[in-house]
Order: sequence, then structure tokens, then C-alpha cells
Amino acid sequence: MQNQLEADSAIFQINEDYRDCLQEISNVAMGQAGDKLARLLGAFVELSIPHIEIMTPSDIVMALHSIDANESVSGVCQGFIGGGISGEAMLLFNDTSFQDLANILRYEGDVDQQAERELLMDTTNVLFGACLNGIAEQIDMEFSFGPPMVLGQHLSVRELFQLDKARWNHALVTEISYSIEGFNINCDLLIVMTEGSLELLFKKLDYLLN
Amino acid sequence: MSKKAALLSDFHWLMDVLQFIDVGLVIIDRNYEVQLWNAFMQNHSAKEPDEILGKNLFQCFPELPEAWFKRKTESVFTLHNSAFTTWEQRPWLFRFPSYRPITSIADTMYQNTTMIPLKDTGGKVDHLCIIIYDVTEAAVNRLQNEAANAELKRLSRTDGLTGLLNRKAWESELLKELERCTRYNHASSLVMFDIDHFKSINDGHGHPAGDEVIRQTAAIAQKCIRTVDTAGRYGGEEFAIILPDTDADGALKLANRIRKTIENTAAVYEGTEISYTVSLGVCAYHKKLKDSTQWIDCADKGLYQAKENGRNKAFIHFPS
Repeated sequence: MQNQLEADSAIFQINEDYRDCLQEISNVAMGQAGDKLARLLGAFVELSIPHIEIMTPSDIVMALHSIDANESVSGVCQGFIGGGISGEAMLLFNDTSFQDLANILRYEGDVDQQAERELLMDTTNVLFGACLNGIAEQIDMEFSFGPPMVLGQHLSVRELFQLDKARWNHALVTEISYSIEGFNINCDLLIVMTEGSLELLFKKLDYLLN
Repeated sequence: MSKKAALLSDFHWLMDVLQFIDVGLVIIDRNYEVQLWNAFMQNHSAKEPDEILGKNLFQCFPELPEAWFKRKTESVFTLHNSAFTTWEQRPWLFRFPSYRPITSIADTMYQNTTMIPLKDTGGKVDHLCIIIYDVTEAAVNRLQNEAANAELKRLSRTDGLTGLLNRKAWESELLKELERCTRYNHASSLVMFDIDHFKSINDGHGHPAGDEVIRQTAAIAQKCIRTVDTAGRYGGEEFAIILPDTDADGALKLANRIRKTIENTAAVYEGTEISYTVSLGVCAYHKKLKDSTQWIDCADKGLYQAKENGRNKAFIHFPS
């Protein structure tokens, strides 16, 4: 029990150097992703400063809930793995975003559930690849990607992320929100890396820091 | 073996792997002309490489949704990112027959695809590779699972004898309606009714005849109401209907229509005609009603009045 607690506290303490370094890496990667999204959309994309934290499953749901409380959301996730680092990227769209997103991407016809699925997948394809490749490049790695999966559509955050049965305790979460100037489009991108990835990730960061 | 021969042999292996790996590999250039077509694609499409190579993909496969497909590929060409499509978006990209034509319940192969940009030596992307995965097994399982769940949900809400909502499902609809009424304060009415002297129908004609009377009553009620109305079997011979956007007078009209139709339509069981009647109570939503039980109770009082006034009647009761 004592050992478990010690292990936990070691994990909890992500030191400020690592945090700064990760923030810098994320900034670059997410900026690249934002730039690609902007080119696809032909609009200016605003991004928040990446928020980096070690979280438990319920922390994640709570953090997301505080952003989208009482709102209906849709989400996609995609797994990545490479060289001992693995995790999932998640994209969370506020459902009020779809009409504007469809307009900006020049989708014709009604924005029904199927069209929303397409919009989710198209945005996912652009953001995830750019972001994760951007991170991989900076820490000198290469990732494989699984097929993206729609987590659910028109649900509350709690319904979308049913993490109460999660088989993991802690993960490194990088959260950033994208919005598009002049449009009602808001999405949150999360990169969640497994606890098992951290030792190697921190080694890579040490290398960058020295 | 010389170094060159060894390299050649390595290259040969690699080409064999690409050719015979059991996923589809297609390489196209910017003009959508096919540059590689591996064995998986050959065998499933029954098109040999010489029929395809150098030809336009959309001309060879008119079923490919060109605008949709180009939306994905253009972003790969210009942004150099991979793109994924799943069978949930489109069941298939290439219309191939199922891999198990005898035992599979799917006619066509469900496909996921990945499109990856191929860089030339100068880092330019003029080609992309489309990888086609056969996901029929997973897709069919998911679809069957979803269909089974939907059917289970339907069964758990339905009364077996009449096909109306069962009591539990109907009550949850009433709760929702009450919430809507409380929030928006719009009109809504409740009709409760039961079959007069049902016990003597059962005693005189037997239980199967009683069942037939219940079935017919439900069918008539269902026929009289609008699609927005919700009818349920509340108890043995007791029924309930929610009428949104309907005031007490409107609900009374409907109640009387049901009453008259039933009065004029004898149930037939094994050649015997059974004439019977129903008594109905109506209660319109009022903000005095604190919960669904009070609402039901109020409509029940109307039903009681109908019984006391000689049956085969409909009465409005107002919440006190």
C-alpha cells in the first residue's frame, strides 16, 4: 500500500521543466494542426494555450464537463502508438458548431446525423494527424494510428466519456480548444498519453532540455 | 550472392508482400490515375492490372462517389496528412462481394480505408496510397447487436397482447408530457377508460374471448388517435391516452368518438359476436396538478362519474 502511494505521488508530480517543455511541444504541434485546419477552411483559427495535467479518468470527465456542462456534444477518438509511447487523441465538438462548420466546408444539403459524422471525421483527419505527427517529430519518434472512432453524437459529456469503468489510473492530458473567428465553431482537442508512456516521454524531454 | 543480387532479392520479397497481403492497396496520382493495384484489389474486383493501370479511377469504378472521395483525397494531397474513412460513413468504397459468399449474411464487403500521402524524393506529394480493409465481420456484428438492442428496447416497452405501450413505458411518456406542460404551460389532456362489465364478458365467453375484446378495444383506440397521441394499456382492461396540445373539450370529443365506435363494433370470437361498451374519464392539464399520479387520479374520477351515470359515457373531471 505504502509503495503504491509513493508510486502515485511520483506520477502526480510532473515537474515544471517537463510541463514547460511539453507545453512548448504541444504549442508547436497544435499550431501546425491549426494552420492546416485554417488552410482547409480558409478561415482564421484561434487556439488556446495547451493545458497540461496528469489526470485520473474522473478528472478528465470533470474537466470536460466544466467546459460543456449541460451542452450536447459529439466526439471522436483515435489511438496512436509508437516506440513505447501510446495513447488516444480525442476531439469534442459542441453540437451547436455543426451548422457553421458545414457552411464553412461548403457541405451541401441538410446537416443530418450522417453529415455531422462526415464533418467530425474530416476535421479529425486534419487535426489528429497534424497534431500527433507534430509531437512525434519533435521527440524524434513515429506513430502508427488506428482508425478513428466516433464515440457518440448528441450526448452529454458524461454519456460520451464513460470512463467510470476505465482500467487505468492516471494519464497525461494535453487539452487545447480551437475556435474559428467569426463563426460559432468550438472544439476541444485532448491528447491523452498512458501512464506507461511517461517514463520514456520524460527521457525524451530530458534530452530536449539538456 | 553479390550485394546487388541480395538487394534485388530483398526488393522482390517486398513486392511479393505488397502483392499478396490481404488488404487492398491502390496508388493513384494527382489525376486519379491508378499506379498500383495489388492482388487483393484484382481478385475482389475481377479486374486485372492491365485493365486498370494508368486509367482514371472514377471511369473504372463509376460507383465511387467522386465529390466525396475527392474531398478526402484533396486534403491528403494539399495538407500531407493521412485520412481515414469508416464503414459507418459509407459501407464500402469499392463494391466488392462479401469474402464469404456462402455463409456471410452480408452481400457486400464493408470497408474502412486509410489514405496516406506518398512523398517523392523531393518531399513533394503527387501520389497517395489507399489502403482498403475488409471489416465486414466487425460491421455485421455491430449492426446485428444494434438491431437486437433496438428490438429488446421495443419489446420492453410494448404490451404483448395489444401492441400498445405497457404501463411502465406509458407512465414515463406521461412524466415527459407533464414536464413539457409545466415548463411551457401548453394544453394537454389525459383520457383514462375501461371496458364496462369486463368480468361478465370473461365469465360468459371465456378468457380468450375477453382477450379478443381487449385487443379490439386497443385497436379502435389506436385508430381514433393522432400520431402525436400516446396510448397505453394501463391495467387489465384499463387504457390510457395522452393527447398533447388538446384541451378538455377536444379530449372529450375524442373520448366520445372512441366510445361510439366501440359501441357500434361488436368483437367476434369464434363466430360469436360480443357487443360491449366503455366508460371514459378526461382531465386536462392544470398547474394545480403536482405530479403524474394526481393527473391520472383526476382522469380516473371522470371515469368513475361515467360509471356512476350508467356507463357507456365520457366525463370531464377538473382538478380540485
